[in-house]
Amino acid sequence: MIKNMLKPIDRSVSGKISNESYLNRVMFIVLIVLFGTASLTIDNYFSTGTALNLIANNWYIVILGIGVTYLLVSGHLDMSVGGIVAMAGVLSAYFCQPSNEGFTELGQGLGMPYGWAVLLTLACCLVIGALNALFIAKMRVASIIVTLGTMSIARGIAQVAALGAQRSAGLPNIFGVIGSVPLFGPIKIAAAVAAVLVVIALFVEKKTSFGRKTYLIGANREAARLSGVKVERHIALLYLLSSLLAGITGILLASEMKAGISSRGSGFEFSALVVTLLGGASIDGGVGSVLGMVIGAMILGVVSSAAYGLLLRPEWQFILKAIVTFLAIIAQRYLLDRRSR
Amino acid sequence: MSSNCESTISRGYKAKRVIKEIYVYVILVLVVIVLSLLKGDLFQRGNFLFPANIANLLRMSVPILMISSAFTLIFISGNIDLSVGSTLSLTTVVHAILVLHGFSFIASLAIVVALGIVLGSINGFLVMKLRITPVIATLITMNAYQGLARYLVPPGISSITNTETLKMPEWMGFFAKGQVLMGLSWAFIAAIALLIALVILQRKTVFGKYIVAVGGNRTAAELSGINVVKVVWGVYILLGAVAALAGVVRGSYLLIGEPYTGTGAETEAIIACLLGGTAFSGGEGSVVKSFVGALIIVCLTFGLKSVIPEYWQMLAKGAVLVFAVVLNHLLSKEKLAA
Repeated sequence: MIKNMLKPIDRSVSGKISNESYLNRVMFIVLIVLFGTASLTIDNYFSTGTALNLIANNWYIVILGIGVTYLLVSGHLDMSVGGIVAMAGVLSAYFCQPSNEGFTELGQGLGMPYGWAVLLTLACCLVIGALNALFIAKMRVASIIVTLGTMSIARGIAQVAALGAQRSAGLPNIFGVIGSVPLFGPIKIAAAVAAVLVVIALFVEKKTSFGRKTYLIGANREAARLSGVKVERHIALLYLLSSLLAGITGILLASEMKAGISSRGSGFEFSALVVTLLGGASIDGGVGSVLGMVIGAMILGVVSSAAYGLLLRPEWQFILKAIVTFLAIIAQRYLLDRRSR
Repeated sequence: MSSNCESTISRGYKAKRVIKEIYVYVILVLVVIVLSLLKGDLFQRGNFLFPANIANLLRMSVPILMISSAFTLIFISGNIDLSVGSTLSLTTVVHAILVLHGFSFIASLAIVVALGIVLGSINGFLVMKLRITPVIATLITMNAYQGLARYLVPPGISSITNTETLKMPEWMGFFAKGQVLMGLSWAFIAAIALLIALVILQRKTVFGKYIVAVGGNRTAAELSGINVVKVVWGVYILLGAVAALAGVVRGSYLLIGEPYTGTGAETEAIIACLLGGTAFSGGEGSVVKSFVGALIIVCLTFGLKSVIPEYWQMLAKGAVLVFAVVLNHLLSKEKLAA
C-alpha cells in the first residue's frame, strides 16, 4: 500500500517513465556533458562564477519562455514577446520620467509614481496580448502571422515613444532598484523574480486544471472542446499571460539598464522559442514542459558562453543558436522514435 | 419564397467576390491618391506623384516586388518561408564580395542564384524530408543565413565596401539604377518579366496546378498521385532563387554588401500576400495581386518617409499587417485553423 503511494505519478503501466521526463533527463545529461566539455577546453571556465553567470545572464529568456512554452504546448506561437519587451521598457520609463523638468522631448514623461507606472505599463502589454487573443483565439488566424504583426506594433510603439532612441534622462532612483540590486554575487533581484515565476509556472503546469487543459488543447483541440474545455477562452488567457510575462521582463530589463531602450529585445522571440524547443516542446502541441525549458535555457547559455570563451566572433551566436535548435529537434525526435518502438 | 432567398444569397456572394477581385487595386489607388494630396502640388517636385519620384520608388522597390511575387506560391502551397529576408541579406553580401573581387556581372549573378537555389533547397529539405514544421525550420535557417551574412563581413566594418586595394567596378549600380526605359531600370524590367513568368507558371503549367492542389488539400493531392515532397521542395527552391536574384538587385542598388538589408523582408512579403488576398491556409492566391500588395507597402514606406519621422515605420507596418489580416479574414469564405 505504502509502496504504491510512493510510486512517482508519471510512471506508466509498462514501468517506463513518461516521454516528457525521459526527454528532460536526456537534456539534463546533455547540459552536464556540454558544461563538462566547455570546462575541459576553455581555461577558467569551470567556476562558481560561470555557473552563477549562467543564471544572471539568462533569467529573462526563462521568464519569456514560460509563456511561450504554455502557448507551444497548446499548439500556438508567440513572436510578439521581443517587441513587448521593448515596449514595456520604454513605456515604464516614459510614465515615470518627470513631467515638468526635461529640456528635451526625450526627457519629458508623465511623472507618475513608479508603482503606477509599472501597473499602467503591464496594462498596455495586456492590450497587445488581447490583440493576439482576439485574432488567434476568436478569428482563428494563423498565430505566426498575427504575432509577427503585433511584434511590429509593440516595437513600433516603443520606437515612437522613444523617438527611435532611448529614454533614460531624469528617471527616479527607484526605477533602477529591482533590476540592479545584487542578491548574491552577480545574481540580482530580477533573477529571483524569474525563479519565483518558474516555481509558480511549474505548479500551474502540473497541479492545476488550467495547466492540464493546456496540454489537452494542444493534444487534441476538438476533443478538448467536446469535453467541456472553453478552448477559445483558454487560448486567449494564454496569450494574455504571455504578454504579461513579456511586460514584466521588459520592465525588469529597463530597470537593469536604468533606461527604456527601443531596440531592446530584438531576437528574444527566437531565443524564447529555441529554449522551449530545446526543452522538448513540439509545435504540434501537447508536449513540452517548463522544467525542460529551463534546462534548455541553461544549455543555450552554456553554448553561448562557451562560444564567447572560445573567442568566436559574436556573429556565431546566430549560427550556433540555429545549429543547436536543429540538432535538438532531430535528436529528440530520434530518441522518442526509438523509445516507442 | 425560396428562390427569392437564393437570389439574395447569390447576390451577396457575388458582391463579395467582386470586392475580393478588385479591392487590392482600389487600396493601391486610394493610397496613391492620399499620398499625393499630402504634400506639394500634383506632379510637381516634392509631390508623391512627381514622375522622377515614382521612377525612383520603383527602382528602389524591386527586391520586395520580386520576393512578394514568389512568396505567393509558398503561401498557396500551405507553407511559409521566414528565411527570405536572411537569404536576401546573405546573397547581397556574397554578390558584393564577388564583384569586389573582379567577377563579371553575369558570373556573379549565376553564382549567387546558384547559392539561392542551395539555400532554398536546404529549407525544402528541412521541411519536406526531415518534416520539421515550416515555421520552425525556416526560423532556424533565417538565423543561420543571417549569421553567415554577418560572418562574411570582416570584423570591424559594417558592410562589404571599397577597400584600399579593391574597388567596386563602375557598372555595379547599373543593373538596379541605370535608367533604360522611362527612368526604369533593368532590374525593374526583370521584376516584371519574373512576374509574367510566375503568372504563366501558376496558371498554365502542371506545376502551378499541383501547388494549388497541395495547398488546398495535401492528403487528397498525395492520394491522387502528386509527389507532394517534390512540389513543395520545388517551390522553396524557386523562392530561394528569386530571393537571390533580389539580393543581386539590392546589392546593385546599395553599391555595398549590407548584411542586415533583408531584415523584415519576410514580414513585408507576408503583408503583400495577405493584402493580395492569398489564403494563409493555402490553396488560393494570385501572384499579380501580391505584386500589387507589395506596391502598396512600397508606396506606404517610401511615401510616408517624407511626411512622418522614420521611427513611425515599424508601427505603420504592424498596423497594415493587422489591417490586412482583418480584411483577409472578412473576405475569406472559410474559417482557418491556427
